[in-house]
Amino acid sequence: MSTAVTNVKMGQGPHLMGTDRSDQPASLLTARTAIVAVLSLGVAVVLGDAGVVTLALPEILRDFGAQVWGVAWVLIAFNVVLALVAVPAARLCVRGDPAVATASGVIGFAAATTVCAVAPSLGVLIAARAAQAVGGALVIVGSLELLVAATGVERAGVRRWAAAGVAGAALGPVIGGLLTSAFSWRAIFVVQIPIVLLALPAAIALRGRAVQRRRPTLDTSPDRPHLLANLALALLSAALTAALFLLVLLLVDGWTRSPAVAAVAVTAVPVAALAAGPVFRGVRAGTRSEAVAGSVLIAGGLTGLALLPGAELAWTLAPQVLIGLGLGLSVDSLTAAALRDRIPRALHGGWTIAARHAGVVVGLAILTPIFTADLRHAQTPAEEAIASLVLDAPLPASTKLDLAEQLGRRLAAERGRVPDLRPAFKTLRVPATQAPAAAALERGLEDQLKRAATRAFRTSFLVAAGLALLALGPALALRDRSRS
Amino acid sequence: MTRLALPLIAVLLVAAVLSVQVAAGGGHYVPLRPANPCTPRPVSPIPAQLEPLAEQIVLLGLDSAACQLGISRERLVLALAETRSLDPRESAALKAGLVDAVDLLDRQGRLPKVSQLLPQALDQANLPGIVKTIIEAIPDPVVDNLLPTAPLLHRTVDELDINRLLHDLNDPRQLNSGLQSAILRAALRQILDRLHP
Repeated sequence: MSTAVTNVKMGQGPHLMGTDRSDQPASLLTARTAIVAVLSLGVAVVLGDAGVVTLALPEILRDFGAQVWGVAWVLIAFNVVLALVAVPAARLCVRGDPAVATASGVIGFAAATTVCAVAPSLGVLIAARAAQAVGGALVIVGSLELLVAATGVERAGVRRWAAAGVAGAALGPVIGGLLTSAFSWRAIFVVQIPIVLLALPAAIALRGRAVQRRRPTLDTSPDRPHLLANLALALLSAALTAALFLLVLLLVDGWTRSPAVAAVAVTAVPVAALAAGPVFRGVRAGTRSEAVAGSVLIAGGLTGLALLPGAELAWTLAPQVLIGLGLGLSVDSLTAAALRDRIPRALHGGWTIAARHAGVVVGLAILTPIFTADLRHAQTPAEEAIASLVLDAPLPASTKLDLAEQLGRRLAAERGRVPDLRPAFKTLRVPATQAPAAAALERGLEDQLKRAATRAFRTSFLVAAGLALLALGPALALRDRSRS
Repeated sequence: MTRLALPLIAVLLVAAVLSVQVAAGGGHYVPLRPANPCTPRPVSPIPAQLEPLAEQIVLLGLDSAACQLGISRERLVLALAETRSLDPRESAALKAGLVDAVDLLDRQGRLPKVSQLLPQALDQANLPGIVKTIIEAIPDPVVDNLLPTAPLLHRTVDELDINRLLHDLNDPRQLNSGLQSAILRAALRQILDRLHP
């Protein structure tokens, strides 16, 4: 890496841009590949941060002894600030050198991430998350210009930037969940610091390159943002928030799966998103058809999550694959459409980031009250189902009375959350002849709780599917231009 | 046509996934809905023992009371478990429900004879040994003639202090004691009525 960067700094840089790869020495190609890789990684890390703490929220809540609404701000603060500062950060890149902006952003992001990792209180963590978003905004929009400069081809640079964003957004919750399970929520931030710092030498190496490249266009007034593509991106981001945020909540809180299992289960979305390109290569026919197909797939996948026939992880896979394919097709395509032939590029990149994260915030704002209210309302049918099974269980009345007392305590202790009824059965003393009936009752009660939790998420998933369908409006109005 | 290919594939994929899910019961994965308490439930055979008989009467009685109160049996049970007390209307509905349950089992010929329940009742009763011996010596036909099951259970329901029983739900000893004294009082009243009509 260091040799490659040195080569670029020693005046061989111009060969990196806009020249035929076959003319370049292998070391330059390696340098270019390395620079593109670390910049893409930086973009993926920053955009992954939007949802990286989703699976860590319960642990953060416990660590700080905070309220649910307070902990939700760890997620919301990053997205709100990123949506607000993406365009101003892009203007900064346009006025100055994107490499300097990116390097400053990397340093700011790494510093804020360090504070997140050692945050002594929830307030400090939320403030550091907001600071992370400010640094992150500079990294994202600056990297767009740098990736175009490094690849030497506008379309390739933009595509790489969009793909890195899609991969980061889709993989963020998965990686966050795995790190939280393996170590702690603080590990999420510790791991990010060295990864994002890799982009620093790449940004320094490209100092002045992006300015050189855009010089002829500086005097022209900026193009207006692509309203339709950005609107579709915002709506799809709102819907995708549901896909990742609500699904992990359903798995962890509703179905009482561990964060690690939930993290592995939701990998279907990023895997399908990354596979969308190769899978549909033969039939990709332009921005509009891709955006329309993507919206349909995301809406269909979310409807599938609303209509789960059971609480087995396998049932979530096909809907997740639909969502992932839709994500891979539409976000990539809409981002390319929003940037195509528009200058300054960084500013329009900033608009797409602002649109996507405003969508995430709007999605959370719409869906959170719906599913929390539904979860509360699910309590009555769940309690009635439990009462029904206990009353009709083939157990002696005295055992049922004992069990009812224990279950009542569990339900009262975890009011507002899906209760864990296993302790009630662990303390139950039954003769060996009644053990199978007691075990069957325990399984039956757990099934009823899962049914109630799954039902409680249905409306939220359907509303999210509605948001994805709304994206069809702007998607259909797009001009259908071929990507190739 | 090429431009329609991708959206068409998307629609087909979504239709395939949703069809499989709906066919597997996707729209109906919801918690068990409480049965209508006004619709009679099938009654399983009752062994000639006190606890299963009492349980069956309580379950049928809860249904009947819930039907009168216009709520589900489960809602009534949860309300009882939470408040551990009844207002006069609920108490009357519950007693009426228990009486209805006894009548239903009587009509279906499912009530065991008192002579069948007596050995177990005596075993659990806190009576002097001599009294138990005397009662055991009474021939079964005499016991069943003096204490027909349905009227005995009607009187027992009358004697029950429902609020007290609810209060003692977590204390099996107190609960049994309350039930036994209600049965004993009912039996005595019934015997006295038979001797002095």
